[in-house]
Amino acid sequence: MPELTFTPVIGIEIHIRLKSDSKLFCSCSTNTDAPANTNICPVCMGLPGTLPHLNHRVVEQGMLAGFALNCGIRPKSLFFRKSYFYPDLPKGHQVSQCDLPITTSGYIEVHDSDGNLKKIRVHHLHLEEDVGSLHHSGSDGRLEGAATSYVDYNRSGTPLAEIVSEPDVASSAEAVEYVMTLRRRVIYSGASDVELEKGMMRFDANVSMKCSDGRWGKKVEVKNMNSFKALERAIEYEIKRQRKIMLQGGEVMQETRHWNDAKGVTSPSRVKESYRKFIVEPDLPPLYISQEWIDRVAARMPEMPDVKANRYVADWGIPREVAEVLTDDKNLAAYFEGCVEVGANPVRAAHWVRTEVLRVLNETGKKIGEFTVRPEVLAGLVARVDDGKLSTTQGKEVFDHMCASGSGIEESIKALGITEGGVAGNALTEIIASVIAANPDVLEEIRSGKDKKGKKLKFLQGLVMKETKGQAKPQEVAEAIAEAVK
Amino acid sequence: MELYELNLRDAIAGLRDKKFSASELFDSCKARIDSCEGKIHAFITRTDSTPQPCANPSGLLAGIPTVLKDNLCTRGIRTTAASKILGEWRPPYDATAWKSLKEAGAILMGKVNMDEFAMGNTCGNSAFGPTHNPNDISRVPGGSSGGSAAAVSAGYVPFSLGSDTGGSIRQPASFCGVYGLKPTYGMVSRYGLISYGSSLDQIGPFARTVEDLQVIMSVISGHDPMDSSSFRDRPHDFSRKDDFSLKGKRVALVKEFQDFTLDAPIAEAMAKTRKILEDEGAIITEISLPVVARYAVACYYALAMSEAHTNLERYDGVRLGYTVKDAPGIKEMFERVRSYGFGSEVKARIIAGTCLTEPTRCEEYYVAATKVRTLIAQEFTRAFGETEFILQPVTPSLPGKIGEPEEDAMKGYETDLYTLPVNLAGLPGLSFFTGYAGSLPVGLQLIGPRWSDSDLLNTGIILERHLGTPKIANGGEC
Repeated sequence: MPELTFTPVIGIEIHIRLKSDSKLFCSCSTNTDAPANTNICPVCMGLPGTLPHLNHRVVEQGMLAGFALNCGIRPKSLFFRKSYFYPDLPKGHQVSQCDLPITTSGYIEVHDSDGNLKKIRVHHLHLEEDVGSLHHSGSDGRLEGAATSYVDYNRSGTPLAEIVSEPDVASSAEAVEYVMTLRRRVIYSGASDVELEKGMMRFDANVSMKCSDGRWGKKVEVKNMNSFKALERAIEYEIKRQRKIMLQGGEVMQETRHWNDAKGVTSPSRVKESYRKFIVEPDLPPLYISQEWIDRVAARMPEMPDVKANRYVADWGIPREVAEVLTDDKNLAAYFEGCVEVGANPVRAAHWVRTEVLRVLNETGKKIGEFTVRPEVLAGLVARVDDGKLSTTQGKEVFDHMCASGSGIEESIKALGITEGGVAGNALTEIIASVIAANPDVLEEIRSGKDKKGKKLKFLQGLVMKETKGQAKPQEVAEAIAEAVK
Repeated sequence: MELYELNLRDAIAGLRDKKFSASELFDSCKARIDSCEGKIHAFITRTDSTPQPCANPSGLLAGIPTVLKDNLCTRGIRTTAASKILGEWRPPYDATAWKSLKEAGAILMGKVNMDEFAMGNTCGNSAFGPTHNPNDISRVPGGSSGGSAAAVSAGYVPFSLGSDTGGSIRQPASFCGVYGLKPTYGMVSRYGLISYGSSLDQIGPFARTVEDLQVIMSVISGHDPMDSSSFRDRPHDFSRKDDFSLKGKRVALVKEFQDFTLDAPIAEAMAKTRKILEDEGAIITEISLPVVARYAVACYYALAMSEAHTNLERYDGVRLGYTVKDAPGIKEMFERVRSYGFGSEVKARIIAGTCLTEPTRCEEYYVAATKVRTLIAQEFTRAFGETEFILQPVTPSLPGKIGEPEEDAMKGYETDLYTLPVNLAGLPGLSFFTGYAGSLPVGLQLIGPRWSDSDLLNTGIILERHLGTPKIANGGEC
């Protein structure tokens, strides 16, 4: 009997906080770090009699995110009421575009296990409001069994985009590449900063298994993943769990499971998913988006990272690997392009950014936005190394000094005691003369022809290089000493 | 003549000409309330122990007392929607319509009774007990805006605000013998109106003359950025037009309604009004509204209950109003709060709405109703190609006795057939006084196409001239 093989069938739902100063249906600030319940108003508290009014800037953010996923924009979309009871949900229903979303379908490209490009289809992106946040005392950090629970409504009504994929994902690796690529593109579009540490991206995965004997497992919805790592681990855990059940001839139940990151397991959700029904939100008219509006927002779409990387390779001859690193972060790419714009050699600048800038950022734990050496300054440094005014080693020393001290090129050169253009000509002749004068015995040995292997000459060269602090060209020093000892 | 008897226009003129002071008017109205309220029971919350300061002494309504239906939010003043579930809640904001009145100088005498969450047509489904009809205190004032109609009818105040989701302004206006306008959907901001059926709800005024309705509409109508369904573009002129004429204008009767039985005084009022319209040069015609006649009631209740049950999901005891302290868990807390807090009619409609939108039935009921609604709106649009106005009763019968055993609930719903199609199509409807049958007033209804509110009111002025202005009701002999 042939060994059974299993193919995972995975769909991913992603919630992303859209970048906006104000909430989706009121003008409250979206700053969720403020003291609890300070960024709230009657509307986002769902007080009786209040009505939502749509923030059109958020609509544009949603459009940008849609463009980043290769989605089209629907000329007419609707808002619905998604009903369930929970204390963090002020109105007892969430206003969401779930049934007629702002975008049509799109896709994100990832690499399959053979390294070939494959499209993960995006079913749609829709706009919805976030809920408040709960804080529990006692218990295990969940509502059930907590001694006291507190609700902070600062987050209530902040704008979210929910992105639903088709079940095209076949492994945890594809899942991670899908969400990473998606995140990068959304950041590029300007729709969101997607700061993971601030919980701006949350994942749910629908995992089921297809067996080579023709059996299909039921779909399991896994919730509560807040990082790439958690997504990867949860999917892997679920694949193993379902595979084991099916190997033992059992049946995978259709259910919702909760990912416990600390324990590294999924377990049946203790809250029975309240069953949800949708009616059209009668307080909001349909959202009509004209072609003219679409065009205006589309014009704001920046170059996407893959297109950018291709351009670096094609136009500037930058190695693909370097191009991909540079375009991974929108701001890093902008920094690099800033260097090129003021005249830096693209390949050299790319190399400097790739190695030196990233090294310093890594060492200091800073983001490129906080980096103090401006692109035009780095371009100037690269040019001086290119021109031979500074050696590569000197260039790196100057760079490190600028990073550490915040001073400019000239100041750093001075502070490091570097003579630009190196020690040559009269300065070099003088140093050589003084070195020779200080070592008459060595000179005597050379002149008498005893230095057959040139060891004594090398010794003098070393002394000279030391005196010049390494700022003379070794070739020049060798020639000048040879001349001087004649 | 006592000051409380003045209609709005005369009260405004009297104050302007300094014939009396705002505090004299206030005292007169307060004295009237004090002497009648024991029998009429229109208030849920009185705010007239001392005069509220006038926000705008030079405003159009400076010093004019008024009352609001208790589903309109008033900053810092208890707002209950006649439900226990809101407890002692004091909203932190004003409904836009009330804000407009306040900024025009109006003085709030209190919040008045209604059916809980505007669900009902007797003003008897209130956690605060029933209101009595000032024309005959053994009878209902109608609902759900019964308190607003009774307060104007009894001479507490010259005007009030109510809300109309399926007839809740027009029916009590008719039962109490005052004028009531249900404006075009979108004419008055709903911001701050505690929702029942959001796509059907509309705030409107009650007064003792049609011209007074014009004055109020000029203050409360207009675009409000806080209400996405409020109109944007068209300016509306609610001033009285003395050259307005009915000559050549068509007024239609609905063919499908002609076989229904009406109480004799209502049938007589129809005939009398028809004659007046003809004398004024109007052409009486007939239109056919088959979809309305057959499906409007079912369609209305499917939509109203579907929307209502989601509008009422927010009452969970977490943020405001009635709550319990000792529930073992969150689910039990929700259950206890909602079980105790809502009255039985509200619970019935929540359950109906939940069933109508439940996934396996949603297509068949809720979604079907939204489609029928479109057909109804189209039918009216076609009809208004053939006529300028539609004349019809508000209800087939005069107000019943308070506490009379409730008839079959579905029959109660049928009596709404004359009023609720107007809400389904977002039309304006004017409930106007035609005279008395014994002690009881008899009202009828004039309906126009969307945004024809101003024409409806000018027609109402002509009708008022012929039919007479209602008297202040004194059924309570107070």
